[in-house]
Amino acid sequence: MNTITRTWVVNEVEQTVTFEGLRRLLDVLREDLRLTGVKEGCGEGECGACTVLINGEPVTSCIVPAVQVPEGAEILTVEGLEKLELGRRIQKAYIEKGSVQCGFCTPGMLMSSYALLSRNSRPTEQEIREAHAGNLCRCTGYEKIVDAVRAVADELERGTRSTV
Amino acid sequence: MTQQSESSFRIIGHSVTRSDAEDKVRGKAQYLDDLPMPGVWYADVVRAPVPCGKLRGLHFDESFDWTQVVTVTPEDIPGENIVDMTGLDMPFLAFDQIQYQGEPLALIAAPSKALAREAVRHVRAEVEELPAIQSIQEMVERHKTGWADSLRLLEKKEIRRGDAEKVLADSGKVLEGEYWTGFQEQLYIEPQSMAAEPMEGGGVYIRGSIQCPYYVAPELMKALNLPLEKIRVEQTVTGGAFGGKEEFPTLPGGYCALLAMKAGRPVKMVYDRHEDILFTTKRHPSWTRYRTALAEDGSIAAMEVDMILDGGAYTTISPVVLYRGILHAALGYRCENVTVRGYVYASNSFPCGAFRGFGAPQAYWGLESHVEDLAEQAGLAPDDFRLKNCLQEGDVTPTGQHLLTSVGTPAVLKEALRRSDFHEKLARCDHGRPDAKSWYGIGVSFFAHGAGFTGDGEAKFGSRAAIELGRLSDGGPGLTIYASSTEMGQGAKTVLAQMAAEGAGLPFERVFYPLPDTRVVPDSGPTVASRTTMVVGNILYHAGHKMKRLLEETASKHCFGGASVRLEDGRFFAEGVAARLFEEVAEVLLAQGEPLRTEHQFVLPPHIRWDQEHFVGDAYPAYSWACNVAEVEVDPLTLRIHLRKITAVYDVGRIINPMLSIGQLQGGLVQTIGYALMESMQVRKGLYDANRLQTYIIPTALDVPEMDLHFLEYPCGELAPGAKGLGEITMNGLAPAIGNAIRRATGCSLRSIPMRPEDLYATLYQGAKDQ
Repeated sequence: MNTITRTWVVNEVEQTVTFEGLRRLLDVLREDLRLTGVKEGCGEGECGACTVLINGEPVTSCIVPAVQVPEGAEILTVEGLEKLELGRRIQKAYIEKGSVQCGFCTPGMLMSSYALLSRNSRPTEQEIREAHAGNLCRCTGYEKIVDAVRAVADELERGTRSTV
Repeated sequence: MTQQSESSFRIIGHSVTRSDAEDKVRGKAQYLDDLPMPGVWYADVVRAPVPCGKLRGLHFDESFDWTQVVTVTPEDIPGENIVDMTGLDMPFLAFDQIQYQGEPLALIAAPSKALAREAVRHVRAEVEELPAIQSIQEMVERHKTGWADSLRLLEKKEIRRGDAEKVLADSGKVLEGEYWTGFQEQLYIEPQSMAAEPMEGGGVYIRGSIQCPYYVAPELMKALNLPLEKIRVEQTVTGGAFGGKEEFPTLPGGYCALLAMKAGRPVKMVYDRHEDILFTTKRHPSWTRYRTALAEDGSIAAMEVDMILDGGAYTTISPVVLYRGILHAALGYRCENVTVRGYVYASNSFPCGAFRGFGAPQAYWGLESHVEDLAEQAGLAPDDFRLKNCLQEGDVTPTGQHLLTSVGTPAVLKEALRRSDFHEKLARCDHGRPDAKSWYGIGVSFFAHGAGFTGDGEAKFGSRAAIELGRLSDGGPGLTIYASSTEMGQGAKTVLAQMAAEGAGLPFERVFYPLPDTRVVPDSGPTVASRTTMVVGNILYHAGHKMKRLLEETASKHCFGGASVRLEDGRFFAEGVAARLFEEVAEVLLAQGEPLRTEHQFVLPPHIRWDQEHFVGDAYPAYSWACNVAEVEVDPLTLRIHLRKITAVYDVGRIINPMLSIGQLQGGLVQTIGYALMESMQVRKGLYDANRLQTYIIPTALDVPEMDLHFLEYPCGELAPGAKGLGEITMNGLAPAIGNAIRRATGCSLRSIPMRPEDLYATLYQGAKDQ
């Protein structure tokens, strides 16, 4: 079997993994690196529960072959959020705004929130909804997730103003 | 006298943060598939290749090395080949008759998923195919034309009050309407996940993503040939359920148990999404026919309803879904003469099962669509007709129940109409005006939901729960709840702890509710039927009170020299001495070594009387009430339906946690947007045609309109602290409100859901135009 060895920066820690050529990024993260916060909801890139960031870009890791992730890539999963100021803010807002119910979509949803807010700290309502349209949630009706993202954006804006 | 509540609680009525939220946002919550299970094998299922037929034989390909895997065929089942659910008609593994495509024929476990799947491909079923029933349309046709005997009847039931047939026969004008609903998939985001392993000393330990730990063991006893106490069932963190993990998990739980017992090692089964949509339960497709006579004054003189549900291949819980369906099918308006007849027939598709609302959404699609015709006939606006005829305090339901306490109608109706400015907006509806660029419409629905088991079911069941003083995970003293109710996202873990803490006089943080394990928890009943907050909350509130008294007595003895002691908000007070913290006193009590535990068993108010045979009496201990208003704009060119705004007012009794309650309501309404406008599947060539997330379309964040949501609290005075049901009523009424709005936007009433542009097109331009 064709095995591949890669070194990535996963949640700010350098990790070297060896895997068979056809394996999905999702499986390498969950099985080899035990990052079980990354969830499989559909296996075909439709539900977004497996969303992680590769070099800041959100991807559904269930349809990304691990071999496509280049040497040296930075991978961020839900487990890495608490190492980042923005990540902690988003996690806190999800808790306070009631954005979490069953929690199975939450890790992927959080990654979409992080990807949006890290490049656009003042998103419109429509931009927030579009940024999360690839993440299905069956519990919350999305409203409290949108509330949390808006709350963090407001906080960021207040922060910016106060330092200006 | 019914009154809106004034609350003086410390914890109840406050939006305390969910106790499971932090683990979930950190990715630390471990669902079944996340748990380390050394040596685990993976289960897969050999499934029937035809929807109906006779099984002639199973052939295991000799070219495959069968020593690498473990197989279970009917001969390997230690006990009877039967799933012990209602009807006793469903085998674990089909061995003679095949009743649906995908029915399990054999089970396989292997060290990897891929190998298990590979083994399945090497089994061939030899079958003789027979004609299958594959749609509710076919069922209804046979029912109406006198060929019902050619169908398998799974259940029928009737409700009678007065003499509807006579009044209808004497009436000059009878309004008739037929209404249809389709399948709906629960689509919890965590797929079905179960695991089993043999226990030392015999028996089996089953865990997984489930709503009802105490359903699994009794339903498996016969097949596993084990006594109850040898089947331990534990819930793992559950990623959504909506009814889909009510009775269903017994099947994969059983597959894993049978394989684990034969293999002598742990076995797990995590469905992939495709398999999960194809081979799990759905909401029952329905047909309802209403025949109604109005009196001169615009009141309802008689109403006759026929309801048919497609039960799928086996009985399972369909009778109970039918009961809830017929109990709600004429529940909403004053009427002295009501007949409701309900039938569940079998078809050759996967057995239908529990789904939030449980027959009531199907019933209200019929009733609240039909009421539009009644209003028009009476010459009244839809809001005026409802206000004139809606049930109110003191009125009587179709089963003869007098509505005497916590009756939030007509309050919910008035409030929703006021907030949405309904009557004024009614005049702006377009009714398919030819020159309009966009067609605007507004629609209303009014509905109820009975909370708890039907009738005196809760009295017969006698749910129990307990609370014990011990140490919590932070090392400090606190109370642990022992109950079988499950957290599946709805917030039970949090609201039950709120009610126990309120009763016990302790801060919320000192009460913990772990995931239930049948080895240690009493049976507080299944987590279904909008009963948990009302019934189990009541039990824990009382068990909390008992604990408060127990702590006060014991503290008095060991810490206060026998003085009279009060425990309030985590502090012990006694005359003449400084207050002492719960934590400090509890350390002393724990050091005594005697267990401090209180239990409570549910007591149904004794005046609740129910005749299960004739369906007469008090059908539910309490009802929640609601009104939904929907506003739509329809594009005359593309017929795209834009849902612009929902106004919803609910009386669900006392609100225990406002933030969680609004979250339930938002989630339920958005799930209903899917039911009403998007989610469509049919059985084609034996299988559901929409079988992936690419084809089974559910709402995304972009499909949610503006929502104005509001609670009016009419607490259930007899069941402290007074919550009624919330989970399911969120799903009961939005579909007809949207349908009624589309009717007023386009001039066209749709008789079936989902309502998609193509359905609107067919009705508008291919005949069947409204009346």
